[in-house]
Amino acid sequence: MTQDILILNACKWIAFIIVLFVSPPILLGLVRKTKARMQGRVGARVTQPLHDLLKLLKKGETLSSVTSWIFRSTSVINFAVMLLIAVLTPWLSFKPQVFEHEIPYYAAARAKSADVKQHLPVVDGLSAKKDAALAKDLAVSTATGVSFFDVSTTGSDIFLIVYMFALARLFTVLAALDAGSVFGGFGASREVTLALLVEPAIVLAFASLGCAAHTSDLNLIFSWTASNPIMDLAPLWFIAGFALFLASLVELSRMPVDDPTTHLELTMVHEAMILENSGRNLALVEFTHVLKMAVLLGLTGQCFLHGFYALAKFDHWLVALFSVLLLGLLSIFIGVIESATVKLRWTKIPEFIAYSVAMSLLCVFIAIGARR
Amino acid sequence: MSLDIYEMLALSAAVVAILMLGTSHLRLNFWLYGIHTVIVALEAWWIGGLAGHTDELFLPNIFGAIGLALPQHTVEALFFGLFKGIGVPIFLGSIVDKVKVEGDTGTLLPSALSMHLAIILLGVSYLLSAQLPVLSNDADTKIGAMAAMSLVFSGMLLMLTRRLAISQILGFLVMENGIYLFALTQTHGMPMIVEMGVLLDVLVGVMITGLLLFNIKKSFEHIDVTQLTDLRD
Repeated sequence: MTQDILILNACKWIAFIIVLFVSPPILLGLVRKTKARMQGRVGARVTQPLHDLLKLLKKGETLSSVTSWIFRSTSVINFAVMLLIAVLTPWLSFKPQVFEHEIPYYAAARAKSADVKQHLPVVDGLSAKKDAALAKDLAVSTATGVSFFDVSTTGSDIFLIVYMFALARLFTVLAALDAGSVFGGFGASREVTLALLVEPAIVLAFASLGCAAHTSDLNLIFSWTASNPIMDLAPLWFIAGFALFLASLVELSRMPVDDPTTHLELTMVHEAMILENSGRNLALVEFTHVLKMAVLLGLTGQCFLHGFYALAKFDHWLVALFSVLLLGLLSIFIGVIESATVKLRWTKIPEFIAYSVAMSLLCVFIAIGARR
Repeated sequence: MSLDIYEMLALSAAVVAILMLGTSHLRLNFWLYGIHTVIVALEAWWIGGLAGHTDELFLPNIFGAIGLALPQHTVEALFFGLFKGIGVPIFLGSIVDKVKVEGDTGTLLPSALSMHLAIILLGVSYLLSAQLPVLSNDADTKIGAMAAMSLVFSGMLLMLTRRLAISQILGFLVMENGIYLFALTQTHGMPMIVEMGVLLDVLVGVMITGLLLFNIKKSFEHIDVTQLTDLRD
């Protein structure tokens, strides 16, 4: 029994690490490829950002003489924080076990929710079908102790994750101010303004999902067990997905808010803050940024995937496959958006973010309605 | 709370109307209005199917002439969707082209805030719909009433917070859709002649306001309703 779990966990670790380190640069490559194709160019290979990162790692580094330790340590801190977020949050449908106490914890949580489920009366065929799915789910998990698709990490509390993103942002801003360049200064100012506007959207979307799921743990909210209380709430999943997608466009400084390919420092937000980085430092910053992209798009994709799963149940293998494919699809979609829209004027951006907040407010109402 | 198609359509009509409030770009507003009206038409079609108004149209000379025997509710939904969902946005778009306006600068509230206010009003209409003495006391009618009231509120906000006369027409149209949806969800289908009459009224209203817009533009050189009190020769 325990050996099975160990082997399973090893498989999960291998799959997870491959996706964790290879997919984020490829997602960026997909966005760029889509944009190139939409503009009638052939474009660089999809793997080009990966090669860029490897090249940057080999290069030397130039440091401004006015920088302090903050500037050097920022990229490492951000990288570490983002890796931790990536390990903790359920942005893929398969997650390795990190801590030893997690399996009993999940078994207990599942048993508890199954207990609740068994006391519900069988009203119609739908709920009978659900019970069958639940029984199958339980059978799988009791046979092996834990199945490949259980998200078996704990400790990803909603607010912990949101404020870990904020911690990474704090250090980026500090480093931009530390380098002492003018552009870094106003890049930082804009970044903080955007963060202030977009944070309610993300917190409300996650909190309403948590409210409907009766937990504040992201891994329990996005767990694939049939006993999850929000497994059937397709509208909530979709609207939360839209809210997160719009918010992540802002967080990732993509097109309607910030032009990632601009050469004009006056209009930059994210790029203005990392102007002073070079060499290995820049490689870490870039990888942190693409990893953030993968995590945020992954969470968005998970919302949509849960929504589709609520409408039509499909196999667990497909769920794991789709969770990776959706990352690619969402980045292609970002590429299409970037080709179709222009960068908004700075004063128009709050209107754009208002849409994300509006979606989150709708989520809140649906969640409250579901709780009653 | 798993929604069926009836509730999903009603609520998505309300949500799309709320999204209209968030942008002041007129073309985008017309697009969203079109989508929202097509959703209302789909709702009418769905309710017609549920209520069993599937008997064939007893004005056979309209469609019978070209050999089409469409059920009554399909014809109604088709008229509604085609004229109001596609025709009205195209007509308004042509007016916008001719009077050369693009966006609307809101007066009372920023558009983002008015959208959030509309969402809060959606919550208020949820509470109101629970208080309503409904004819048939099932969840469907309550959700329908909630969506309809939210539409009326959104239309009202659109009329109150916008500056251009063309946005006032849009607000009126959204309110009218709300009233239509209310009647539809509370009565499970109206007689065809009533629906056609309402549709005709709205179309004529839009035409007349369109003509009025030209005249306002001609004599005032803008279509800003807040400045219409200034008298001129």
